[in-house]
Amino acid sequence: MKGVSRLWISVIILFSFLSAILLTPTFMGDRLPSWWGKVFSSKGMSLGLDLEGGIFLLLGVETEEGVEQEMLILEEALISKFREGRILVKNSSISDGTLAVGLFPGADMERALQIARDDFEEMAYIDSEGFLIRLSIKPSYVAELEKNSIERVQNIIENRVQDFGLVEPSIQKSGDDRILVQVPGASKKDRQRIVNLIKKTAVLEFKIVKATGLSRENLLASVEAETESQIRGKGFSIHQGDTGSENEKFFLTERLASVTGEYISDARITFDNYGNPAVGFTFRGDGANKFGKLTEDNIGERLAIVLDGVIKSAPTIQDKITYQGTITGTFTTEEAKDLALILRSGSLPVPVRVEQERTVGPSLGQDSIEKGRFSMIVGSILVLVFMVFFYRLQGVIANAALVLNILFIMGFLSAFGVTLTLPGIAGLVLTLGMAVDGNIIIFERIKEELVAGKSAVHSIEMGYARSVWTILDANVTTLLTALILFWLGTGPVKGFAATLSIGIVSTVFSNLIVARVFTNMMYRDKKLTEVSI
Amino acid sequence: MRIIGKLNYDFVEKMGGAMRISIALAVISIVSLVYHQGPNWGVEFTGGTEIHIKLGKSLEPDVLKGALAESGFPSESVQRFGLPGDNEHLIQFAPELATFDQIGDFQKKLEDLFAESEDFEGASIQRIDYIGPRVGKELITKALLSILIACVGILAYLVFRFEFGFAVGAVIALIHDTLITVGAISIADKEFTLAIVAALLTVIGYSVNDTIVIFDRIRENMGNFPEKGFRQLVNEGISQTLSRTLLTAITVFIVLLPLFFLGGSVIHDFAFTLMVGVVIGTYSSIFVASAFVVYWRKRKAAG
Repeated sequence: MKGVSRLWISVIILFSFLSAILLTPTFMGDRLPSWWGKVFSSKGMSLGLDLEGGIFLLLGVETEEGVEQEMLILEEALISKFREGRILVKNSSISDGTLAVGLFPGADMERALQIARDDFEEMAYIDSEGFLIRLSIKPSYVAELEKNSIERVQNIIENRVQDFGLVEPSIQKSGDDRILVQVPGASKKDRQRIVNLIKKTAVLEFKIVKATGLSRENLLASVEAETESQIRGKGFSIHQGDTGSENEKFFLTERLASVTGEYISDARITFDNYGNPAVGFTFRGDGANKFGKLTEDNIGERLAIVLDGVIKSAPTIQDKITYQGTITGTFTTEEAKDLALILRSGSLPVPVRVEQERTVGPSLGQDSIEKGRFSMIVGSILVLVFMVFFYRLQGVIANAALVLNILFIMGFLSAFGVTLTLPGIAGLVLTLGMAVDGNIIIFERIKEELVAGKSAVHSIEMGYARSVWTILDANVTTLLTALILFWLGTGPVKGFAATLSIGIVSTVFSNLIVARVFTNMMYRDKKLTEVSI
Repeated sequence: MRIIGKLNYDFVEKMGGAMRISIALAVISIVSLVYHQGPNWGVEFTGGTEIHIKLGKSLEPDVLKGALAESGFPSESVQRFGLPGDNEHLIQFAPELATFDQIGDFQKKLEDLFAESEDFEGASIQRIDYIGPRVGKELITKALLSILIACVGILAYLVFRFEFGFAVGAVIALIHDTLITVGAISIADKEFTLAIVAALLTVIGYSVNDTIVIFDRIRENMGNFPEKGFRQLVNEGISQTLSRTLLTAITVFIVLLPLFFLGGSVIHDFAFTLMVGVVIGTYSSIFVASAFVVYWRKRKAAG
């Protein structure tokens, strides 16, 4: 019998040792001795949401809206530049990233173009036709805007979810324009609150009320306008009211708010004079100045508090207000608390929409873990018994290699930080069944050689030597499909693919090296005449 | 112990009969797919909302569906999930009936229903899945793409390692396996989910693995005994690897059994797919992949 390779023995011992260290926190859980964390990592394998329970939300960021908002700002800026330059604007419109500003006939087009170029050359292509000036926003500028808004959205959502106070929420970018929010351990009761927390754009504006009415049409007629865009041109906008008053379904206000929620430095739950929950807020210094001026100039007028386009309340201004304010309305305590949290975190620059949700109750997760563990134990026992029954002593060797194989696979999974999912557990169980395939191929070959009358030593040598390529060929293709799954899969399926891929690599190692080394060790000192197979 | 001793069986002779079986199975699969109007796509692919509930006692899906409709939310379908004793059901809502913002209401109404009606004593919501239309489309594309890429990748590797005819034989076998396994899922009226796609890809991997072991032997014999006829080489290759083919199928099958019976509802269909796939994959390595190689050689020899 060929000697035992010291190199391989060392590698096997090293791998076993490393895997054992990596896996100890997973198996010991809370019973881990305190010194462990100082020497090794005390973080166990992380469980997927399907095992732990919780909420998974994939958010699409409506970056197009960010571009639209940018166009509105651009429109405002250009028109005010023209006004400064005493160029009269007849009308303006925005569509598909193009702003078209019409001037009165006879306008000095040369100068108008120059004004536009001076300030907006970098962000837009500028041309003119007759008395129309067109600004088309540049794709590179759009890309930058979108990238910015996604980053800001991610930051704000991170603040909001973390403020909510559940352990270890994770907020990641997913693909180019999506954000993945995972909140493990969130209960079904928390679901709606978390969704509201994340989805709320929370743009807070303070605007002076010009008129109120029962319908949009009433209000349009009151300023002699026919469409919303005409009313915008006149510097007004119409908002729906949610103030609890039957007579005031719609409000006409000035179009642009002079004070917004971005100046808020703090917000908290408070109660109004009737003991109903409300949200109190505090302005930063610059905001306080602006708010002071707004309220001072408009004493006796009504101030609309607009949240995401809807008017929450419209109190009459009694006196100048600077730092402090209160939003009253029809809130529950929870809603007021959450709104305060959202105002503290700031408003989303663009809205988000939920593309995918998965909420798993903790009982289903727990149930899955227990059943997964149980079927794994049963599966292991069946395979181990089967191998000993069919291959006697060689079967024992294959089993020893299989046990180490499972240890390595789980060690690798921990080392790579792979999240264990339910299909991942299934993949692990499946790997158990497939892992002995290599051993079977080798053992059957050894038997054939023995039947052909070859010596014991020669049969073992040939059994291994002739099976190497078969095993490699067979596993490369399986690895290929597993990697494709990993590449294209999402969520739990990715976990399955990761388990399978790592399982295949470790299995080939255990079939060709570990089992071989064990065989050699077992027969090292004996003159081998018979193989127990 | 040997389960199969020295064997002298003419597999090639049986391949004609096997082909009829394969064609019959394929036709049955296609008929079932046409009858059911394609696979029973899970909510991940169609978009919409799926709520997984566990009941305190057994209830017919139709009764459940009626109760839901009565309390004001018509569901697209109600299906049993897992083993019969689990009393678990999947309720699906069409995308147009369940926008994301409505899910909160559904949840509340369902919980009210559970609290009020005796039929629903001890019932609870286990899982809520919502898939927006965009994600659904992306997932379908990705699923089909992954199966396609797997086939092409395997073909490429096999062409590199074996003769062309062998590679084509293996790919025909895996298409055969995928079709019949999908057919079995359709006949059993199981939902076609992402997990099922993962199981199908695993079946593909297993089937090719099995085929390669046989091909490897045939090729080795071709080198060692060039004087023998190809038909005899194929028969011997299959015979020599037969005990391995069966033993491996058995070990895989015995780990799938506990997953199928004990793994819980979510894993149940996944294990079902693999069990069907392992049986078909084992059969096809011998009677489809090897059969094609024999046919291909014959044609090549005939010029």
